[in-house]
Amino acid sequence: MSDAKAKSPGAVQTTGHAWDGDIQEFNNPLPSWWLWGFYATVVFALIYWVLYPAWPVGGSFTKGVLNDITFVDSDGSVKTTHWNTRALLIRDLKEGKEARLSQEYMSRVSAAGYAEILADPEMMAFTRSVAKGLFGDNCAACHGAGGQGVIGLFPNLADDAWLWGGSIEAVSTTITEGRYGFMPAFRDTFNDQQLSDVASYVLSLSGQETDATASARGEKIFQTEQGGCYYCHTHAGTGLKSQGAANLTDQIWTIADVNGTDDPASKKERVERVIRNGVQRRMPRWSERLSPDQIKLLTVYVHELGGGQ
Amino acid sequence: MAQTGIATTQQYNYDIIRKFAVMALVWGLLGMAAGIYIASELAWPFLNFDIPEITFGRLRPVHTTLVIFGFGGSALFATSYYIVQRTCQTRLYSDWMATFTFWGWQLAVGLGALSYMFGYTQSREYAEFEWPIDLLIAVTWVVYFLLYALTLKRRSQPHIYVANWFYMAFILATAILHIFNNLAVPVGLFSLKSYSLFSGVQDAMTQWWYGHNAVGFFLTAAFLGMMYYFVPKQAGRPVYSYRLSIIHFWALSFLYMWVGAHHLHWTALPDWTSTLAATFSIMLLLPSWGGMINGIMTLSGAWEKLRTDPIMLFLITALSFYGMATFEGPLMSLKSVNALSHYTDWTIGHVHSGALGWVAMITFGSFYHMVPRLYDTRLYSTRLVYAHFWLATIGILLYITAMWVAGIFQGLMLRSFDDYGNLAYTFVETVSFLHEPYVVRALGGVFFISGVLIMAWNMYMTVRQSRIESAEIEARIAAKMANA
Repeated sequence: MSDAKAKSPGAVQTTGHAWDGDIQEFNNPLPSWWLWGFYATVVFALIYWVLYPAWPVGGSFTKGVLNDITFVDSDGSVKTTHWNTRALLIRDLKEGKEARLSQEYMSRVSAAGYAEILADPEMMAFTRSVAKGLFGDNCAACHGAGGQGVIGLFPNLADDAWLWGGSIEAVSTTITEGRYGFMPAFRDTFNDQQLSDVASYVLSLSGQETDATASARGEKIFQTEQGGCYYCHTHAGTGLKSQGAANLTDQIWTIADVNGTDDPASKKERVERVIRNGVQRRMPRWSERLSPDQIKLLTVYVHELGGGQ
Repeated sequence: MAQTGIATTQQYNYDIIRKFAVMALVWGLLGMAAGIYIASELAWPFLNFDIPEITFGRLRPVHTTLVIFGFGGSALFATSYYIVQRTCQTRLYSDWMATFTFWGWQLAVGLGALSYMFGYTQSREYAEFEWPIDLLIAVTWVVYFLLYALTLKRRSQPHIYVANWFYMAFILATAILHIFNNLAVPVGLFSLKSYSLFSGVQDAMTQWWYGHNAVGFFLTAAFLGMMYYFVPKQAGRPVYSYRLSIIHFWALSFLYMWVGAHHLHWTALPDWTSTLAATFSIMLLLPSWGGMINGIMTLSGAWEKLRTDPIMLFLITALSFYGMATFEGPLMSLKSVNALSHYTDWTIGHVHSGALGWVAMITFGSFYHMVPRLYDTRLYSTRLVYAHFWLATIGILLYITAMWVAGIFQGLMLRSFDDYGNLAYTFVETVSFLHEPYVVRALGGVFFISGVLIMAWNMYMTVRQSRIESAEIEARIAAKMANA
């Protein structure tokens, strides 16, 4: 132990106790930087307490000085209050630099018609800026971050096909009212042979390789009262937007993943499955979640995603 | 030694310390493995496998409970029993009480972890135990308190060594925190569910008063107790300043109790409560550093030990991480910084620089010193201690830098605006950004647990070596007796 003492800085004494044989304590003074550092934090706290709400007193609390916040409340009245996070938030949402900027653009877009917005690059840029967030927070969960959708489940918004119409008006109605996409299941109407025949005909409509005689039998079912497919998909097979019925003559497939395989047999099997089970898809109405202005911006955004119509 | 002629292994109750030390390593390995798994789930969500029992939400409290209460708690029981006996030069007051605390604690930790996997949780962070386990913990803890106090009372030293003050503060504060935060009315006698006595913002306030003081007294004060024994003991040098130890002990104990509300900035919590929490957190900085100064300066004049003694390396590195984490904490408690850091991985990084850097490292150093002495032998391998040290250090650095990047950048992304005054990023864009930091974090965990595996092997071989040595001695004595 004498060794350790000899090496100690200065002539600092130990407290004279020893525990467990050899544990001792020097009695060095508090390091002055430590002590002054501690005092500095106390001064910091004192100043903070003077300026901000700090100490509970009876049923209330000290409000702080030199720190009042003046803000426009939701009822339009101008209020001045002691510093508090709620008033700070209200003021920031209304009067912050970004909030003002955004509101300025928003009022222009709000007053403008669709044609005007589409023709104005600046308003379009603002629309993309707002709607990217709206789409990401509300739509992307189903339709994907880029609007690419999930085949069989959620329509692709970035391709050229519009089940319910790609005009500004149609897109706006879709978002506002929601959509219910429905095709009946034919499992009880058609036998296996008939299912296979109709599938062949449907594939032939878009130029896929199929058995000609099977397609001919399928056509008869499709185009007559026996299947009644033409009610919605029309005699030409191009679909009816009012029913959300798909165009069967293009290369775009939204339910049956026909493009996902090269094997003609499994292409037919995939189409058969859709005819057998039918389709039921529901998009919720957004008029209760989003404001008319927000729907307007989203409409322009989604319209542009798919190239518009 | 005061009692000459009696080996310390017989004079003191070492058996209970051995048991707790072994369980600390077992829970530590299990808890860290769970941690790596949930870190990987965040990086690669398919690892949830749609099995409810192993999803992130259920495994996360398993991880925290096993490492804090299983690993940390068992390590504290072990070292506190070691230190109180050696610095008071008396045997534990009661062997059966010690054994009771062992089984009570292990049962609580094991049952807790299992119950979380099956979906039973109080949903209070770090206090997820349902009420029957809370009762078990309360009883165990009261016995621990009595045992510790009665052992101190029958010490053969005139003064109580500083390490014991810290352990006493930890035991007392933990009892108060545990009991008040878990005040609840069970739904029924045969139901695991219960209603908390508090509601709304009072409930949140009570929970974070508990949560932060669990950090303050369980993960800080108690491990400072560990530091105050093992640093001077391993260094062979007197503690730097008795005066500093008194001042920072009382300042720490007084100030910590106020700061929990800094976990609730920018919420429904009243602004004045937020202010008090933030300012008391700032005032806590220097008292926290008092422990670091006292530990590191104890080595003053013997710095060369850092080159030659890997155990010292563990202890001093732990103190450095402690100093860093206790600087970062007050910084994050300021409302303006908190607005950026809260709800991001910066918080997780901060906790782990404390948990891995301070709590685990000081425990490893202490165990390397203590375990060979418990078995009256020497460490099996010093080189393996070095290997453990570097694996742990690399693991921690990977972990916390990854979390700084993840947290600070996500915070910046969430609050950045574009040229039109709109938020520049969607929430999901900030989530996809996190993938790479999450991979690096999981890798950091792998480094860290590899170190602990090496430690477990080193400890196993040390104990085995001790058995061989004592068998040899017995054989030699037997041979001599036969010759005589």
